[in-house]
Amino acid sequence: MIRIENVSMKFDLGIEKNFSLKELLISIFSKKKRNKKSDFWALKDISFNVDKGEVVGLIGSNGAGKSTLLKVVSGVMKPTKGKVIVNGVISPMIELGAGFDMELTARENIYLNGAILGYSKKFLEKKFEEIVEFSELRDFLDVPVKNFSSGMTAKLAFSIATVVDPEILIVDEILSVGDIKFQEKSKKKMESMIGGGTTVLYVSHSLDAIKEICTKVIWLEHGKIVMMGDAKKVCDAYYKVQMK
Amino acid sequence: MIKSIFINFKKYWFLLTQLISRDFKVKYKRSILGVVWSLLYPILMMSVMAIVFSQMFRFKVEGINYLVYLMTGLIMFNYFSEATTTAMTSVISNFTLINKVYIPKYIFPIAKCMFVGINFVLTLIPWIGIILLSYVGLGEYTCHINWYYLLLPYIFFCMFLFTVGIGLLLSCISVFFRDMLHIYGIVITLWNYLTPVFYSIEILPKKLQALFELNPLYQFLSSARSIVLYGKCPSALTLLIIGAIGIVTLAIGALVFKKNQDKFVYYV
Repeated sequence: MIRIENVSMKFDLGIEKNFSLKELLISIFSKKKRNKKSDFWALKDISFNVDKGEVVGLIGSNGAGKSTLLKVVSGVMKPTKGKVIVNGVISPMIELGAGFDMELTARENIYLNGAILGYSKKFLEKKFEEIVEFSELRDFLDVPVKNFSSGMTAKLAFSIATVVDPEILIVDEILSVGDIKFQEKSKKKMESMIGGGTTVLYVSHSLDAIKEICTKVIWLEHGKIVMMGDAKKVCDAYYKVQMK
Repeated sequence: MIKSIFINFKKYWFLLTQLISRDFKVKYKRSILGVVWSLLYPILMMSVMAIVFSQMFRFKVEGINYLVYLMTGLIMFNYFSEATTTAMTSVISNFTLINKVYIPKYIFPIAKCMFVGINFVLTLIPWIGIILLSYVGLGEYTCHINWYYLLLPYIFFCMFLFTVGIGLLLSCISVFFRDMLHIYGIVITLWNYLTPVFYSIEILPKKLQALFELNPLYQFLSSARSIVLYGKCPSALTLLIIGAIGIVTLAIGALVFKKNQDKFVYYV
């Protein structure tokens, strides 16, 4: 389903420096060459497989490379080295609502965001009711999203993102969306998606949630895999090191 | 390769229409006249330009209807100018999306060129109105209406391809080199004056004329004008050349964009 082979990802932190003409000229004329040490490897030689139906959790402290890894898998970034092979339709739930236009109404945003996520027009027309129903925002359909509370925006985004039955689901810490009632509902929805045989890549800082739904856990630190395997074992080891 | 382009296009066509309709909605939200502005704005703008150039500056081109001459130049150049300028910023301003979800990035500049293109097609309505008015006797000289008009869509389409090519190129460059946003503002103003929009190329010395003819926009403008104002079909060579300009520019833009698009995420 997903094969990651020796993937490395380099960021040039010095890139910021050449953003304007003035600085470009300075860097041409000044003798000091750009500091080569500004290279930053967010991922170093990562390899793993995810089989169909597996639910894989990613853990690690902030800046360990979890989100970068998700972006590489979803195709947003091309790895500097290595190969990423993905078979199947991906539904990326990375930062919900990134595709919203705040000036547009909820109704308009359902279509826009759906198109961004790769849904077809037919599919959206068919599922429109379901999205509205799940989001509990029927009364606000024709209100511009800029007037929404952050919880309402998140609910709408979650409803649009989860209306598909994707073969591969990429989730970046979104289960805690909306009020308690909606949280329960969204958790159930996720569970039913997972139960339906979807392959899941799941990033979270909540070890309880990871242990509950994941069959396998990968622990990342400084761009490297520290440990990979049984969910409970890896989570416990991670917890021990973090709390030391 | 052509097949994969076609499949991709089909796949993302819905997204393209959504992006274009978003532009329309956002542009006219909260304005009382709404989409009527798409028609009204060019009419009013043209009226202002017409008064300034034909009444105040007393510009004219011998033997033809100057008003139509000016309008033709204006709407075509304005299309190019507005489409390329908005296409240039389209990748940068959609960065939050590009960084989160996989979308083919070329879709943003193309959507902008098409959105402005729809506005351009709307401006053709008052333009044709003025041509018809000149036909019934407004102004000294009448325009020509003939079968060559069927070539106009071809000319506009070539200009569209040229515009998309430049738009792709600019949107790519501006990601790596932000100063482009400011530089292009100057470039487009200069380009405006170097293109015979409100004057005739004939007022220039012969040597300079040859140089000005190298301007692709001049080729598009003069082809359209020769049909509307002189009733003459552009030569087969000219038609071939403008087609080539469109296709080659688009190919260069697409190639440069494709080569660099994977690096966008690090720079924006």
